[in-house]
Amino acid sequence: MIQRRSELILVVEDDAKIKNFICYALKQDGFSVLAADTAQGALSLLVSQPVDLMLLDLGLPDFDGMDVIQKVREWSELPIIVVSARDQDREKAAALDAGADDYLPKPFSATELMARIRVAIRHLYKESGGRRQASAEVGELRIDFDKRLIYLDETEVHLTPMEYGLLAMLFRNIGKVLTTGALIRELYGPGYGTDTQALRTLMAGLRRKIEANPAKSRYILTEIGVGYRLVDE
Amino acid sequence: MEKVKMKSPGSIIRYGLIMMLFIAAATGVGLLFRSIGFLEVNIVIIYILSVLLTARFTHGYVYGIMASLAASVTFNFVFTEPYFALSVNNPSDFVTFAVMTITAIVTCALTSKAKQSALEALENESETRALCRLTNQLTDAASIHDIASVAAGAISEVLGCRATVMCFDENGKPEDSFIQQSNNHTQNLRQASEAEEIKRRIEQTQYVAGDEFYDWPIHGREALLGTLYIPRITAMTKSQTRLIHSMIESTALAMDRLRSVQARIKSTEEAAQERYRGNLLRAISHDLRTPLAGIMGTAEMLKDMTKTDDPRHALAEDIYKESDWLHSLVKNILSLTRLRDGALPLSRQMIPVEEVVGGAVTHMIRLSRREIAVDAPDEVLFVPMDAGLIEQVLVNLLDNAVKHTASWEEIRVSVRRDDEKHIAFITVSDRGSGIREDDLPKIFQMFYTSSSRQANAARGVGLGLTICEAIVEAHGGWIEARNRTDGPGAEFVFSLPMEVPHDTKA
Repeated sequence: MIQRRSELILVVEDDAKIKNFICYALKQDGFSVLAADTAQGALSLLVSQPVDLMLLDLGLPDFDGMDVIQKVREWSELPIIVVSARDQDREKAAALDAGADDYLPKPFSATELMARIRVAIRHLYKESGGRRQASAEVGELRIDFDKRLIYLDETEVHLTPMEYGLLAMLFRNIGKVLTTGALIRELYGPGYGTDTQALRTLMAGLRRKIEANPAKSRYILTEIGVGYRLVDE
Repeated sequence: MEKVKMKSPGSIIRYGLIMMLFIAAATGVGLLFRSIGFLEVNIVIIYILSVLLTARFTHGYVYGIMASLAASVTFNFVFTEPYFALSVNNPSDFVTFAVMTITAIVTCALTSKAKQSALEALENESETRALCRLTNQLTDAASIHDIASVAAGAISEVLGCRATVMCFDENGKPEDSFIQQSNNHTQNLRQASEAEEIKRRIEQTQYVAGDEFYDWPIHGREALLGTLYIPRITAMTKSQTRLIHSMIESTALAMDRLRSVQARIKSTEEAAQERYRGNLLRAISHDLRTPLAGIMGTAEMLKDMTKTDDPRHALAEDIYKESDWLHSLVKNILSLTRLRDGALPLSRQMIPVEEVVGGAVTHMIRLSRREIAVDAPDEVLFVPMDAGLIEQVLVNLLDNAVKHTASWEEIRVSVRRDDEKHIAFITVSDRGSGIREDDLPKIFQMFYTSSSRQANAARGVGLGLTICEAIVEAHGGWIEARNRTDGPGAEFVFSLPMEVPHDTKA
C-alpha cells in the first residue's frame, strides 16, 4: 500500500506510560491517534470524532471497560480491541461476548498489537464494502460460500454440514477470536447450554480433515479458555 | 413444685403422730358423746371422720388403712362391752366393726386418690410452666454457654439441687470447663477433670450413674452437645425424670439452633474472605502487570527505533528480555499462590489434549522463532483439566527446553495414553545438555537452581518447575524429570488422570 494510512484510532488507557508507547507505535505505523484516560472521556470523543477503531483498557478509573463496550455496541459496530491486565479467561470471554472484536492480555508486544489492529481494519473495509464475499482463503485453505464447499490445496474436502458451519463462521470472522459460547449459540442454538464437549469434538474432527497435524494447527488456533481463531496471514 | 419425700424417717414419725392425734381426738369426742348419751352410731361416724382427716393430712394409703384399723380397735376397746377390753360380747358389734372398717378404708382410698390427682395436676402445671420459662430464657441466650447456664439454673430450680452442665465444642470434644449452680442465684465456672472419660461413658448409655452424679447426655441432631450432671443424692420422681428429659430436649434444640446460626455466619465470613483473597490476587496481578506492560512496550519501541548494529538496540533488547522474564515470574507466583492456598479451585473441563498442546506449542514457536515437533495420537484424547494451568505447565517446560537446547537441535512434545490405568502422558524432550544427576532429585524444589551453572543461566528453572509440579499434582498426576537414554538431552514427563480422581476433586 503506497498511500499512508489515516484511520483514526482512539486509545482509552489510564496508565500514561502504556498510553504513550501505544500512541507512539500507532503513529509510527501511520495511524491518526486520539487518547482518553476515562470512560466518560472516551464516550464523548466517540460521539464527536469519526473514530475508526477503539483500543480499550478494561480497568478504567470511572467505569468498568465492560460497560463501555456495551454502551458503544448500542449504537455502533466500531471495532473494539480490548487490552487488559486481567488475565482471567472468564473476563476475556465476557469481553468478547459483550461485543469486543479482539482481546490482548497485558503485557503485549507492539508487533502483536499492530497485527491485531491491521486485522480489525481489514475487516472494517470488507464489511463496509457492502457486498458479501463469494469466497475467502487463507494459506492453502479456500471456502466457497455460495457452493458451501471447502478446498485444501485446490482439492475438495468433504465436511459434514456442522463442520462446514463451524469453518464458515470462522472464515466470516477471519483473524478474530470466536468464544466457545458464541460458537455453541450459533451452531447448536441458544438453548443448548454451556457444555463445550460437543463443540470440541466437532473441532477435533474438522482439524483432522484440514490440518496436517491436529496438535499443531496451522489454520485454526486454540485460544485456551476462550475460543478459536482462524489465522489471517 | 411440691416436693414429695416418701420414706424418710421424719415423715413416718410425723404422719404417725397425725394419725394418733386424730384417733385420740375421735376417742375424746366419743367419750363426750357417750356421757351426753348420744347413740353409738354417732361415735362410729366420728371415727370415720378421723380416718378421713388422717388420709387427707398424710401421704399414701398406709396411714389411712392403719387409721381405719386403729379406729376399729379403739372403738372396740373403749366403746363396746366389755369396756376397756378387746373382746366382744354382743355379736352385732362385729357387724359394726366390719362396716366401720370397710367404710373407713373406702373413704381413705377415695381421699388419697383425689389428693393424688390434685397433686398430679399441680405437678403437670408447674412442669409446663417450668418448660415454658426455660424455653423463653433459651430464646434469649446468645451463646452455647448462656444456654448451658440457663439450663443449669432451670434444672437446679426444678430439682432443688446443684446441677452442672458441660458443653462440647464443634468437634465433639468436651470443653475444659463447666457451669455449676452453686446456690439459687450464682453459678460457678469450674475446670473439668477427665472430660474425655465422661464423654466416652455417656456415648455408651442413656444416662450414667457416676460416683457422685447422674450424667445426662444432651444429644443434638448430629453430635453430642453437652452433658448435664445431677448430684446422686437428689431424689427424682417419674414425672420429674420426664420433665428433665423435656428440658434437656429443649436445651439440645436451642444449642442446635445456635450452632447452625453460627455455622451460617462462619460460612458467610469464609466466603467473604475468599472473595477478598481473590480480589487481592487480582489487584496484585493487575498492579504488577501494568508497569511491566509499560516497560516491555517502551523497550520494544526503543529497540525498533534503533538499527541492529547500534549498541542501544542490544540494551533495549536486554530491558525487554528482563521484563519478560519478570512477567513470567509474576505469572508463576500468582499461579502458585492460587494453588498452594487452595483459594481458587481448579476449573476442570473435558479438554482434548491436542488443543492445549497445540496452544502451548504455537505460542512457543511464535515466541522463540524455532521449530517444535509434536507427536499426538490420531484419536481425540479428552482429559479433565484446567486448560489454562496445563498450558502454563507446557509453556514452562518448553521454555526450559528452549533455554537449554541449541536452536538447531530438536525439541519434541509427545502425547500417549495408558488405557489400563486411564492416564494420559505428555512428554517434553530436548537434545540439550541434560540434567546433572545431583540436580535430579531437587529440580522441582522452590527456587532450587543448579549449583553447576551460573545463577543467570539457570534462573528460569527457579520457579517454573515448582509451579509445574504444583499444577500437575493438583490434577492428581505426577511429574518426573530424567535424562534421555537414547542420546543426550533431558525429558520431562507428566501424567494426567483421564477421569477426575475423587480425592482431588475440586
